[in-house]
Amino acid sequence: MPKITIQTTVNGRSVSKDVDPSLRLLDFLREELYLTGAKEGCGAGECGTCSVFVDGVLMKSCLMPAGKAQGTTIETVEGLAERNRLTVLQQAFHKTGASQCGYCIPGMVMAATSCLRGNPHASLDEIKEHLGGNICRCTGYSKIFEAVELARDVLNGSVPATALQEDAFKDSFLGANVRRLDAPSKVTGALKYAGDMTMPGMLHLQVLRSPHAHARIVSLDTSEAERMPGVEAVVTSADVPGVDGYGVFIHDQPVLARGKVRFVGDAVAAIAAETVAQARDALEKIKVVYEELPAVFDAEEAMKPGAPLVHEGNTDNICQHIPIRKGNIEDGFAKADVILEETFRTQRVEHAYLEPEAGLAYVEPDGTVTIHSPSQNITHHRHMLAHILAMPINKVRMIMSPVGGGFGGKEDMIYQGILALAAIKSRRPVRYVFTREESILVSAKRHPFVMRLRMGLTKDGRITATHMHSISDGGAYALSTPGVMRKHCILGAGPYEIDNVRIDAYGIYTNNTPSGAFRTFGAMQSLFATESMMDMAAEKLGLDPFEIRRINAMRDGAVTHTQQKLGSVSMLQVLDTLEKGSRWQPGVPNGRGATRDDLGGPGTRAPCTLGVRLRDTSDVAAE
Amino acid sequence: MLRCDDYYLPATLDEAFDLIERFPGEHRIIAGGTDLLPWAREGRAGDVHIPVLIDISRVAEMRGQKAQDGRIRLGANTTFAEFLKDPFLKRHLPVMAHAAIWFADDQLRAAATLAGNLVNGSPAGDGIPPMVAMEGSVVLESRKDGKRHTRTVPVADFIQGPGKTLLEPGELMTAIECDDMEGWGSAFEKVGHRRSLVISTCCVAALVKVDWATRRFADVRLAIGAVGPVPCRAKELEQSLIGQPVTAETIRSLSDRTAGFVRSRSRQEYRRKVLASFVERALGDALDELGIAPVSQPVHGEERLHA
Amino acid sequence: MYDDGRKKRGRGMAAGWYGIARTAAIDRAGAWAELDDGGTAKVVTGVTEIGEGILTVLAQIAAEEMGIRPEDVTIGDNDTARAPEAAHAGATRQTYMIGNAVALAAREARNRLVSVIAEKWQVPAESIQTRNGEMWAPGTNLRLTMEEAVAQCKGVGVVPVGSASFTADHTALDPVDGSGRPWQAYVFGAQVAEVEVDTATGEVQVLGIWAAHDVGRAINPRGVEGQIEGAVVMGVGQALMEDYQLDDQGRTTTPGFAKYILPTALDVPQVTSFIVEDPDPLSPLGAKGIGEPAMVQTAPAILNAIYDAIGVRITTLPATPERVLEALASKREKAA
Repeated sequence: MPKITIQTTVNGRSVSKDVDPSLRLLDFLREELYLTGAKEGCGAGECGTCSVFVDGVLMKSCLMPAGKAQGTTIETVEGLAERNRLTVLQQAFHKTGASQCGYCIPGMVMAATSCLRGNPHASLDEIKEHLGGNICRCTGYSKIFEAVELARDVLNGSVPATALQEDAFKDSFLGANVRRLDAPSKVTGALKYAGDMTMPGMLHLQVLRSPHAHARIVSLDTSEAERMPGVEAVVTSADVPGVDGYGVFIHDQPVLARGKVRFVGDAVAAIAAETVAQARDALEKIKVVYEELPAVFDAEEAMKPGAPLVHEGNTDNICQHIPIRKGNIEDGFAKADVILEETFRTQRVEHAYLEPEAGLAYVEPDGTVTIHSPSQNITHHRHMLAHILAMPINKVRMIMSPVGGGFGGKEDMIYQGILALAAIKSRRPVRYVFTREESILVSAKRHPFVMRLRMGLTKDGRITATHMHSISDGGAYALSTPGVMRKHCILGAGPYEIDNVRIDAYGIYTNNTPSGAFRTFGAMQSLFATESMMDMAAEKLGLDPFEIRRINAMRDGAVTHTQQKLGSVSMLQVLDTLEKGSRWQPGVPNGRGATRDDLGGPGTRAPCTLGVRLRDTSDVAAE
Repeated sequence: MLRCDDYYLPATLDEAFDLIERFPGEHRIIAGGTDLLPWAREGRAGDVHIPVLIDISRVAEMRGQKAQDGRIRLGANTTFAEFLKDPFLKRHLPVMAHAAIWFADDQLRAAATLAGNLVNGSPAGDGIPPMVAMEGSVVLESRKDGKRHTRTVPVADFIQGPGKTLLEPGELMTAIECDDMEGWGSAFEKVGHRRSLVISTCCVAALVKVDWATRRFADVRLAIGAVGPVPCRAKELEQSLIGQPVTAETIRSLSDRTAGFVRSRSRQEYRRKVLASFVERALGDALDELGIAPVSQPVHGEERLHA
Repeated sequence: MYDDGRKKRGRGMAAGWYGIARTAAIDRAGAWAELDDGGTAKVVTGVTEIGEGILTVLAQIAAEEMGIRPEDVTIGDNDTARAPEAAHAGATRQTYMIGNAVALAAREARNRLVSVIAEKWQVPAESIQTRNGEMWAPGTNLRLTMEEAVAQCKGVGVVPVGSASFTADHTALDPVDGSGRPWQAYVFGAQVAEVEVDTATGEVQVLGIWAAHDVGRAINPRGVEGQIEGAVVMGVGQALMEDYQLDDQGRTTTPGFAKYILPTALDVPQVTSFIVEDPDPLSPLGAKGIGEPAMVQTAPAILNAIYDAIGVRITTLPATPERVLEALASKREKAA
């Protein structure tokens, strides 16, 4: 392999290395220097997890060929502070709770450092502009802004350094703002996520994925791939010794395609090789003959008789139907003075945790198969994997590596089985790190829903009946679809006591990207419909939005839509707190924005107009 | 994944041409690199093998900026970040700062060059409409049999279509020239789906000069991007403003004459609607930069939006 | 800036509720605890941090129960071969399920230690207090550091360990009418959104979110705020820009972060949180949860605010600039 010599200064140390010219600066830092603080969140300059200083200028190291770094001086997150110490900014992140999963944090710390180095008096709006290239999926940025403002004020001397100290402990640790114990490891880049881990003799896994949404695998020939340089193991479904299938509720997904692919991106075969590049080269030598099958891409179409079956053996494509029945909706609608009806639609949403899926698997000396991965459900994964591997459950060991964001998306065992098979077959440690594109392609999405909602109310605002009929595209495999339908239904009619409720949700198999668990598990969709309609009803009945919700709110001892009697219910307290806290001006929600007086007060930001630094006249004057 | 076998960092133009001659058909020129690496990924070009990368970002002759004869000459290695920071550039090319602040983010601006933006020829390239508006031209140099050849091509001609330019194999864009816009009011309007790292759905660059005695438009430049295969200048609209009084009515009157600029195949209706308001807003903001803020009357019909 | 009068503001609100821990299925979590040398502690449980801050919350809980400091607690976790089962990290169950399991295990370890010392001191065990690294019997001059207490306990041959299992007693839904007891703890919340809609571009900026949420009991208020803020911004993304799209052959047209649009630092509202505490009567801690519940209200609150601003009801998410302008245009057509 050709090499180029890179000479740089990294964190104050002179470095000279002969490296593959294909390396990016990010790879050079991570793989050659083991500086894994900079992460690869997207590889395309769109997320900022890889930000480092090059000659004092902040750069996205995933966009810089290592060759470009020739002769430069590089500073990474590991170089900001002395060992076991934190910079003022890092301390501020610790103080405010600015790190959650931590995966964006090294890049965020770098961007904030760059901002304050450039302007020690940067306004909040200027800070935001400088952080504009760094995505955070956990924090909502609020605590990060707070940290940067705090660090700015400490650094420019406008507040004392004592402001960085932990809040004093009072009577109890419960209710105290104890600083996050894991924050120092996150703000310094010291924490190792699965993709940062290495082991001696470690191989790299890559997966061949289906280009078709629905096809029969006529033949799969891996013989040429097996002979490619660096290849140590080729894995297909033929390597599964046990019962092949996984899923959160229904085990309908094989570790690798078994005779058929059901969505674009379905895993077909995998290769473990000495390098990622060798594994990718070998993937191209796998010969798959597909016979394309009729596919179905729409949930409602998939419900019709005669629609292509996504899972042969099933009688239809209905993965899960959940019914809720309380009272009698016909009676309820008969009592209504107004009846509203509307169809609501929600989209597929990507979890977009900044840490793409990654894992490291190996076989321990006693034969135990061990897998490190950012799995949200190691308990269930161990159960399933033991069946798949036909091994005693105590010989399968799942270790949850630091999770760089999950939101439900890392509950599915979409790659741990492949890793286990590769480690067993190759007898070597095997690591698999998804690219961002691979993560987006194959991980589950938030279920898209079409919801027909009908609500009847009396003149004085009391809901007499709610009828919701929901259809959701669950995609090619069940994953969490049964549970998502359930929660969608249980919570869908909202926090209101309603005598007559009918809700049905259908989760449907299609040949689309699978849908799965995602923060709120189907509830935000049904509540989007219900809460939109509450405002529509309020307008129609001439009621304030808080008022109509208060009229219907569950109270202590309320009976839920699943006929459960509750104890204490905080809904009214919450509504009162919010109405007061938001300075809400009561009124009918009829498009009164132009006439209301409660806009633009405390708690709002100015609209973003970009270019704060251009309007700042101080530097113009200095020119 | 981008793979290459060698990486060169020529320090002079001659060294760059030496390499171009040494690796004909096997090389690719790289400047900021912010387009090349994202391109070589799944969902776009996939795995790409380019034997030799020639990185021109350190070529001495391609650095720097200067004013000459009413024109500004920008070395091809001028980055977007420089338009935000450099006092000379902020004074002579004020519209570029407005465009640059909408371009990607701080970190990409620090690497990405205006020349790279032009060479890419994306319909949504943020640097192109301002250059079209400022009568920009590109300086293209090549070397044949040891002799340097230079030609200068207007930006409006240089970009032929999405990703298509007049750049010939072996040719390097070494500089960009455009009118000196010192004293003009300028603005850049852009909309996408968010406020940072945003790809343009529609953008407008506007520059205005006002006859202070009469409060009339003395000169106007308008260019529109992201709504057709190539960004274009709105000369008719410019002409119709010159000599007109600086009022909100004047600039609003252009809004029903902008639809024809929308030639992209997707999201046509949306782009037409946005463009109709953007021309007014861009001119208004450009005037505001000069300290003349025409007072806007309520937009027709809007006051009755509320039920 | 030139004001062309096309930017309109409005406010909207939405309410919501949520169930804590696994749905319509019995839930359980286990934990082990040991008061260790030096007055420190080991706590071991099966599943912890996914970024929400549960490690710190568990350390606070263990410290409170054991009378030591959070930084003295080492949490061994997340290993199916080395830690007791705690099920999974999701369903807004971490504080409720694992927090209570840790509280109970820590309490048992602490009580084992206290009973040994009580015998030495000849005082009733119930009278002994432990806090912040110290143990004492009120009304006496009997006082030890926890370090000394652990040493004395081990000196008589007792290792102060504890273990616990915590259960949430949920029932499955009836397959016909859906009746059942899916959760034992419920939370309620509501949010107000304030938006600016640019009727020239259809762009919506969310300028403020006020969020009131019942969490039972806030173990770490800052952590609760962090969950609310993160949930709100995820809600902003879903309401306005995020959209994973497929073509008619099931291939994604949003393969990377250039096409799949996430909120940046410039797209997020200021968030004001109000923490309401209605303690859970069925668990030792009284805490419930907040991870998921804070995101159900954001999208409808924003869409209701858009209606307030421009009189247009968007029923399909996300409310992209195109959708907003389309809806405005059809409203105008209908009015004309």
